[in-house]
Amino acid sequence: MVNAIFILVIGLGAAFLLGFLRDKRKLAYVVTLAALVSMAWIAARWLLFFAVDGGARTEIFTAGTLPPFAINLHLGIAEAALMLLVILCGLFSAIYMQNTLMRLGRRMMSVLLVFVMSLCGIILTRDVFNLFVFFELAVIATAGLILLCEDKRTFAAGFKYLIISQIVSILLLVGIIFAYHASGSLNIDDMAAMSSGTLKGVGSLAFFLMLMAIMTEAKPFPANGWALDIYESAHPAFSALFSAAMAGAAAVYAIDKLLLIGASQWLPVVTAIGLLSFVAANLLALVQTNDRRTLGYSSVGQVGLILVVIGQRDILGEHYLYIVGGILLSHAVAKAGLYWLSGLLSQRKLTDWSALRGHPLLIFAFVSFVAMLTGLPPFPSFYAKWDLVMLLAAENRLWILALILIATLLEAGYLFRWFGYIIKREKETDKQILSLASHKLAVVLSTAVISWGLAYLWGELSAHGNLLYALPLLFALSFLLLDQLPARIKNSLSIAGMVAYFMVSYPTYDPLQLIFGAIFLLGSSVILLASYHVSGRRVGFYPSALLMFAGLTLLIVAKDAFHFFAAWEFLTIGSYFLILRGKHSEPHALSYVIFSLGGAFLILAGFALAAQGISPFPLESLAQVAKPIAPWVFLLLAIGFMTKTAVIGLHIWLPGAHAEAETDVSPMVSGILLKAGLFGLMVLLMNMGKQSLYGVELTYVMLWMGALSAFLGNLMAVFQEDAKRLLAYSSIGQMGYALFGLALMNQLGWLMALMFVINHYIYKSMLFLSIGGIAKRTGTRDMYKMGGLIALMPLSFIAVLIGIIAVSGVPPLSGFGGRWIFYNAILESEYRLPMMLIFISGPIAFLYLFRLIHTIFLGQLKDEHRQIKEAPFWILLPQMIYVVALMIFAVVPGLAMRHVDAYLSPFFEGQGLNWEGFTITSHYGYWSPVSIMIVVAVIFATLFAWLLFVNRKAQKVKQFNIVYSAERPFRPETTHFAWNFFAPYRKALGFLMQPYVTRFWETMMDLLHSIADLSRRFYTGNGQTYGIQLLAFVVIVYLFKMEF
Amino acid sequence: MVYVAMVTGFILILMGLYGALTNSNILRMIVAFSVANTGVNIVLVAVGYIDGRTAPILDAAVPVAEAAVRIIDPVPQALVLTAIVIGLGVTTLMLAYAYKLYEIKGTLDIAQFSELKW
Repeated sequence: MVNAIFILVIGLGAAFLLGFLRDKRKLAYVVTLAALVSMAWIAARWLLFFAVDGGARTEIFTAGTLPPFAINLHLGIAEAALMLLVILCGLFSAIYMQNTLMRLGRRMMSVLLVFVMSLCGIILTRDVFNLFVFFELAVIATAGLILLCEDKRTFAAGFKYLIISQIVSILLLVGIIFAYHASGSLNIDDMAAMSSGTLKGVGSLAFFLMLMAIMTEAKPFPANGWALDIYESAHPAFSALFSAAMAGAAAVYAIDKLLLIGASQWLPVVTAIGLLSFVAANLLALVQTNDRRTLGYSSVGQVGLILVVIGQRDILGEHYLYIVGGILLSHAVAKAGLYWLSGLLSQRKLTDWSALRGHPLLIFAFVSFVAMLTGLPPFPSFYAKWDLVMLLAAENRLWILALILIATLLEAGYLFRWFGYIIKREKETDKQILSLASHKLAVVLSTAVISWGLAYLWGELSAHGNLLYALPLLFALSFLLLDQLPARIKNSLSIAGMVAYFMVSYPTYDPLQLIFGAIFLLGSSVILLASYHVSGRRVGFYPSALLMFAGLTLLIVAKDAFHFFAAWEFLTIGSYFLILRGKHSEPHALSYVIFSLGGAFLILAGFALAAQGISPFPLESLAQVAKPIAPWVFLLLAIGFMTKTAVIGLHIWLPGAHAEAETDVSPMVSGILLKAGLFGLMVLLMNMGKQSLYGVELTYVMLWMGALSAFLGNLMAVFQEDAKRLLAYSSIGQMGYALFGLALMNQLGWLMALMFVINHYIYKSMLFLSIGGIAKRTGTRDMYKMGGLIALMPLSFIAVLIGIIAVSGVPPLSGFGGRWIFYNAILESEYRLPMMLIFISGPIAFLYLFRLIHTIFLGQLKDEHRQIKEAPFWILLPQMIYVVALMIFAVVPGLAMRHVDAYLSPFFEGQGLNWEGFTITSHYGYWSPVSIMIVVAVIFATLFAWLLFVNRKAQKVKQFNIVYSAERPFRPETTHFAWNFFAPYRKALGFLMQPYVTRFWETMMDLLHSIADLSRRFYTGNGQTYGIQLLAFVVIVYLFKMEF
Repeated sequence: MVYVAMVTGFILILMGLYGALTNSNILRMIVAFSVANTGVNIVLVAVGYIDGRTAPILDAAVPVAEAAVRIIDPVPQALVLTAIVIGLGVTTLMLAYAYKLYEIKGTLDIAQFSELKW
């Protein structure tokens, strides 16, 4: 194998060689690429040697003498991997900058080579002074490469960097010489060997200076204003190198090396600086509008996270390389990819990225990078973060854990907001923003491929198994490749796939899984029937929808916390993409994803706290969690799951997200996705049972939250004018019922919750489809703009009618069954007060449901709606299926429920129902669905016949125009009977409807943004200020270190 | 003797840093950094100095056999040479930057180059 020193030799040699190639730019460029390729090849060979053949670390000696009398280089798997990363990054940037390099000529190429070479040197060397030399080389090369960009402002940025690097080199040199004085060696391993005894007093200060100098090169907050200016103004390909290779690989590895000397007492310092950077940078990034500066902040944050991991290496043990590698590589690939992507655009505002729309491959690349940065599965950072969080929780380092999760949420916030801009913002058609040179495109896309390759690799290395092997996930991902097919073919494939998967797997499900599985797989197939109404290709719809369904499917079969959480993340991302597709859903999708990820992180924290380092942690083990932490685990998990069910207080994302989604997406996210939260709650309650915290029983709190959600959700639905929003608010209420049932913690309560799971799926999907169909035809969702549609859309009318009968829980439909079980359940428990709330919510539900019929279908037909046709066939078909299903479920609920009842009985002591024949009996009475159905049908038929008889002579009255006092009113809707229909109730109860919760969350957001906007002014842009900040930072860190 | 050099070195470093961070003229900043660098170099050499010994040059005056007890530590001196070279490089680069910056804005006031911020 080639000696690794040739990596340095080739880099340096080629750089010198270029000096002879005057006027031969093409040849010079070829030499540059060849040098980089051969350097990469050497690094790759060594990496394979260590990783595959299990080779041992090797030392490379120079000058024919052993250290410490000569410099030695150290080569292990970490060094080989990092060098490969650095060199490949350099190679990709060189390809990317083909035109620029050809224009600027061989000098720039040799500077690039020196830069890459010096970074490799930083990684390889074990000599502190040599480290200084390589860093200075990198600085000089950086100052050269900054000039690649034509932006005049880069000169200022470069000079600021030189100021900083002067200070850094002063600190470093003074540190090195005193460390040498104290230890008698310049060799890192020598110093490490004698560390704790020798490096006291002056030695310790010397080490501190070295550490801070190298740390500055990793650009920690707040001594990093200069770096942000470079990120913003430099050539994107150089920013990619600067972020991924220099800060994110070489500098952090140098810190890691140095810490061998400082030993464990310095680890908290590194952790603290890393945490500060991770939180602060992501906070400040919230208010950025320039894409490259945003990436710069994100870069600072990610490097901060790497520093945290380095600082925590005392507890990571054998997982250290896996965790730090996962985060480091994810950051490097994603950040470099995003910088390269930014080079395709000529405008610098985040909103200008809407130019990417219409280029699915680029959007796919963007999504992959963003998912990688935020640590979403299946990328390496996901595995790494999981392990990290588990270990932090096991060691009780909860503050670190909490701050990491908060900062990650902030980062996800601005990255997903950015994604929303791409998908939703107006494209400026008159300007040519995007330029797609093939070599640049190739770089970006191969980076995306590498990101998936790493995802596979980290899955292979993971102790939890590779997520990419999950069949549903592969099925969803395969639709990325099929995206060019017509939507209808993809639709058929999806339905076939999901039904087939259900057929294959249902024998292995227990009754609980079966109910959820049937809804998640078969239920969604029925909804997908409605998707046949869309023609064209519908790019992006199927991968997203199937990703959500894959997440749901994997969720119910997850055995341990890791797989449960991964499935949870999959369904969250998939549903986010789906919701984002709605016409006006950009802000709503964002608040959805932020709440969902926030909830997911609570779940993650809950699992980590529960597991205490046990890995894999089976879900059943939740039952064994011991006392002091058990209620906290319960609390975290419960809040996480309740975010998904949109309990009151955490509900503000739901109305917009569900109402603005596309016609066939609303039923998916409402009828199906909400059940994931209920499933999670069931798993939680089944395993952990009742928990109390400070004497408060948590299930009792949940009971109240359920009751309040039911009451307030329904009440808010009453006052909506928009039919889809009405349905969305109604979901909050319905989920409140289910939550209430679960929190009762008796068998009937659970049975009722499951009944709600099925019922809510059927009628909410049906109602969303029919309202969606009507909205499609009328072009509006405001109810008062409709009216008299009964004659034109009879089938939709029937669906809505059946739907509201079912929702309101009156006989004969299954909604009544739910209520019946529910009242039985309540009678068995002693919670009277929340029970009253639940009772009141029933009639309130009727108020809003009534409006759907009254305002949409009855009354006067509007002029502009005279030519309207019935909703499209494919939207009607599932509705009719639901009508039939509701009828069947109403007559024989036992079909599904008795199995569930039997399954639940072991968990509770024999309070089940008796399912003899067609009658269901409880302690308090019996319910015979069949007789109820017959009675109601007879009454209905009689009344209907009588009505027909009475109306036989009725005369049709033509509509006529009533002019408002001979004038056209300014706001015509105010004269409409159905507008503000429940004004009296609003007067009485309106105070309950004040958007307190919305205001609370909005204030939180404003506060965060104001803090960010205020504190970023700290970066004045003046190079001198940056220098002073750096010195102050060093001093303050030292004082803190002295203090603790 | 060592202490004089050491103290001088540190005073130069502090003077240099103070000058570089208070003078808003770019050329003055560069000069100040050179002063600081000189200070660093003096400190480096001072650390390697041992009282009563001679320069680490092996010739007739200092035979190899006695070198270990008669010469001062040669390593810092080697380091200083490298540091001087690198310092020269960085200073030149800064001067080149100063020239370009002046070309762009017609001023050498560092405060004028702060479009990139926040």
